Order: sequence, then C-alpha cells, then structure tokens
Amino acid sequence: MFVHGGVHEEASPANNDAIANIGFVLGDDAVAVIDPGGSALEGHALRAAIRARTDRPIRYVILTHVHPDHIFGAAAFRDDRPDFVGHAKLPGALAQRGSYYLRRLHETLGGGAEGSEIVTPTLLVATRLELDLGGRRLALRAHGPAHTDNDLTILDDKTRTLWLSDLLFVDRLPVVDGSLLGWLEELDRLTTISADRAIPGHGPAAVPWPAAAEPERRYLETLARETRAAIKAGTSIARAAREVGQSERGRWLLFDEFHPRNVTASYKELEWE
Amino acid sequence: MLRLVLFLLLLPLALADPAHAERSEAERTARWADLRHAIFGDRLVTEAEEAVAIDVPARAEDAAIVPVAIRVAEALAPDIVGLYLVIDDNPSPLAAHFLFGPLADKREIATRVRIDDYTYLHAVAETTDGRLYSAARFIKAAGGCSAPAGKDQALALERLGKMKLTLADRSTAGTPVAAKLLVSHPNYSGLQIDQLSRNYIPADFMQTLEVSYNGSSVFRLESDISISEDPALTFSFRPADTGSPGVLTAEILDSNQRRFIQSWPVPAAPQM
Repeated sequence: MFVHGGVHEEASPANNDAIANIGFVLGDDAVAVIDPGGSALEGHALRAAIRARTDRPIRYVILTHVHPDHIFGAAAFRDDRPDFVGHAKLPGALAQRGSYYLRRLHETLGGGAEGSEIVTPTLLVATRLELDLGGRRLALRAHGPAHTDNDLTILDDKTRTLWLSDLLFVDRLPVVDGSLLGWLEELDRLTTISADRAIPGHGPAAVPWPAAAEPERRYLETLARETRAAIKAGTSIARAAREVGQSERGRWLLFDEFHPRNVTASYKELEWE
Repeated sequence: MLRLVLFLLLLPLALADPAHAERSEAERTARWADLRHAIFGDRLVTEAEEAVAIDVPARAEDAAIVPVAIRVAEALAPDIVGLYLVIDDNPSPLAAHFLFGPLADKREIATRVRIDDYTYLHAVAETTDGRLYSAARFIKAAGGCSAPAGKDQALALERLGKMKLTLADRSTAGTPVAAKLLVSHPNYSGLQIDQLSRNYIPADFMQTLEVSYNGSSVFRLESDISISEDPALTFSFRPADTGSPGVLTAEILDSNQRRFIQSWPVPAAPQM
C-alpha cells in the first residue's frame, strides 16, 4: 500500500491540486488506485509511480467522494480500462457539481488543469463491496451523509489499514459538506473498526486508529453543541459564523478559510431540528 | 414580468464578462442607475442611510448563503409600504420585494441570498406617499448563483415544501413577536448545470410567500432566484392582543405553480 501525502494548502498552480492523500494498493494479480488525485497531472504522476513498481493491471480506480482534489486525476487511468468505483450517490453528486468543479479547477490551475475530466463511476457501492486484488481483499463501505453524501472507506485486510479519505482530517480543518450529525454517527461506527492504522484524506500518511479521530470528533461535537446553542438563543447565522467554535482556532490549519463556512452549513442543518 | 425582462436583459451581460470583480466604481454607479430606472422609472430615489440600512457581511463565508438584513428607522417605519432588495450584479438583480401588511413590524426583515459576483446591494424603502429611500452596501463574494445545490439531495426532496416556524418567547402583550420561517425548497436558479444532461437545471424557485396572522397580512414577498436554497425569513409581527391564541399562516407559490400552505398556533401573550 502506497500513499502520496497532499500538502496543506488550497488548490493552486504551484501544487496542481495535489492537496489530498492519494495512493494505490498492490495485489498479486492487480492494482487498485485509491483516489487518482486532484488533476490529470497528478493522476499521470501517480500512474507513473505505479508503473515504476509493477506491470500488473490497474483494475480499479476508487473515487472516495465527489471532491475535486480526490477525483480529477481519474482521466489519467482511462487507457487502463479499470472499473471506476464510487458510492451509489456519486453519479448524482457529479451531475450536480462536476462541471462547476471542473470550471473552478481551470480558473484555479490554468494550464495545470489540462486533461482533467469528470469520470463517471462504472461500479457503484450501495452498502458494501469486496474487491479481490489476488491474495489481498479490499472491503469497501458506503457511508451515509457525513463529510459529503457520497463517502467511501476502504479496509485492506492484508495490512489491517483503514483508508478513511475525508471522513478523517488530521491537522487540516475538517470540512462539513454532507451532514454534521451524520458525520458524528459515522465516526461512532468507524471507531469500532479494529485496524492497525488509518489513512486520513488530509494529514500524515498513516495515523493510529481510533486515537487519531479524537481531535476531529472534538471539533465536530463543539461545532454541533455551540451551533445548537446559537440557534436556540436566536443568534443570527452571520453572528454565529463569527462566534461559534472559536476555542478550536489555533488547533487547525486553514481554520479561517473553512470554519465560518462549516458554521454556516451546520446552522442550516441544525435549524431544522 | 418586470423581473423577467430584467433577467433577459442582464443575463448575457453577466455571462459575457467573467472579470466582473474588476468593474470600476463608475461602471457600478452606471449599473445602479440603469437598474433604478428599470425598476422605478423616473421616480426620485433618495440615498438616505439614516432612513434605511442594509446589513451584509463585507465578505461572504458562503456565496450561496449570504445573510442580509434590511432595517428601517423607527420614526419612518409606520409610513413604509414596501422594501426592495436589489443585488446589482446578480443575473436577476431584483432579489426581493416585500409588501407589508397591517400587522408587520417594519423595522427589520432578514433573509439569505445568493451573490454571483462582487457587487453592490441596494435596499429601497417605499413610503405610503410614494417616496423612495435607498441604502447600499458592497460585498465581496462570487459564484453563489451557479454554485451547486445542497449537501444531502435525498433529504432535500423528501422535505420539499415543508416549513418550520420558530417564535421567540413573548414577555408582554403589545410587543411584536419575533419569528423565523424556514422553507424547504431547492430554489433552483436556472444557472446550475446538470452534468449528465449537459443542460441547466430548470429554474424552480419560490415566487411568492404570503404570511398572515388570523387572516390579516403580515407581509407578502415577491422573490426570485437570488434567494438561497431553503429560503429563510426573519421578521416580526404585531398580533392584535385579544388574550386568546391565534394562527400564523404561510402560503407559498413556486415557479412550477406548486402551492404550499402551513399554519402554526401562536400562544396568547401573558396578560399583565
């Protein structure tokens, strides 16, 4: 299992949107890519790294969720004719957002976005799916709305490694783009899985599990508790975005860039309770 | 109809010019002059920050959900019949027109809007004798109208048309009741693209909202695609305090001619 670590930045021409952790798994018969990266450039670099190690066929390209930093490298693997594997809700999310994300990628990266495409999944996961790579099985699990409404996680039985993608953020601020309460529920379930290590979507290549989930849980719980209190007190959404969760400031990278938006999203979710 | 004309006039301009954030102050002034003329004709619109105020963040956290509050000076409030909210550089600039009924507390009303580009927002208050007072604020935000919809699509469909009302506790009779109304509706702008069909998702938005108390109007809102997904309205009203509970009703008509009606009991104020 190989992981390429993303940098803790927003997408830019300097990083070619290589900001998420991506990688691949080698079996005796085949290779599975877990997230092809944030641009065709990054996808091609990943493919070259695979080909430097093995000629085995790349049979699966797993797209862990709809966000651009994870999936826009998919086009680099088209010629391998793999199955592109995604959550059953991924096609719908791509329909809603794909072209918008692609336009934004071109605006942000300029020429660095060249060749990046929206690749529609060919193999969907509604609940669970097992992929056999030869002497090694990957157990894929489709989650309810959490980080997004189309999150997949992967458990590698050979190394007992749990690839959480963006259901786990370490160091970089978690982004709520699905359901805050759903994410807390998924975390409860995920932390019961016994694994030797986890791979976060953003953060170090490997972290201890379930201990590494604690900062994220604390952040999400704080966000839920304080946003609920703000709604109950009649605090406006604008003021809540400035006031909620300030104890978490200084504990996360990119806090100022994404936290107020998380509060806005959480407020919108929780005001229906 | 006015709204449709504005939309058709201004859409090509908005799409043809990607660098709107770079517009000069003179261009922005000219744009407001054009819009003012399209909406109010030759009527005089007086800049009067002491009469009407518009409250928006200087920079939006999420351009698809930007809170906006319009306030009217206490002394002027009884004379106000309506408020206009104009988002100058949005594809359909006239975002909202509030027409107040006899039970409205006209001092403040708030909603959430989409902002498509760096723009001025204008609030215009109209008095019973036809005077128009305006206030402006500039906001840095972009992409709100074409930003993709919702985070949980299944939930959004299941909840379509449902409303939720939250009433603040009332301490005494005779004081206004603060209320927040949430409407579950995608309010599709018509500028969001469906990637599979490669077509725009057809506009599907809340066209009118009428809020009344015991059959008497609080306000009527004529709204448009600039209102955020899941429209939210914060307002206050002055029930006739008879000592008995009443009923608040919200009725919505959307652009697909769907009608949604919901009512809530309003407890009587504690009698002193």
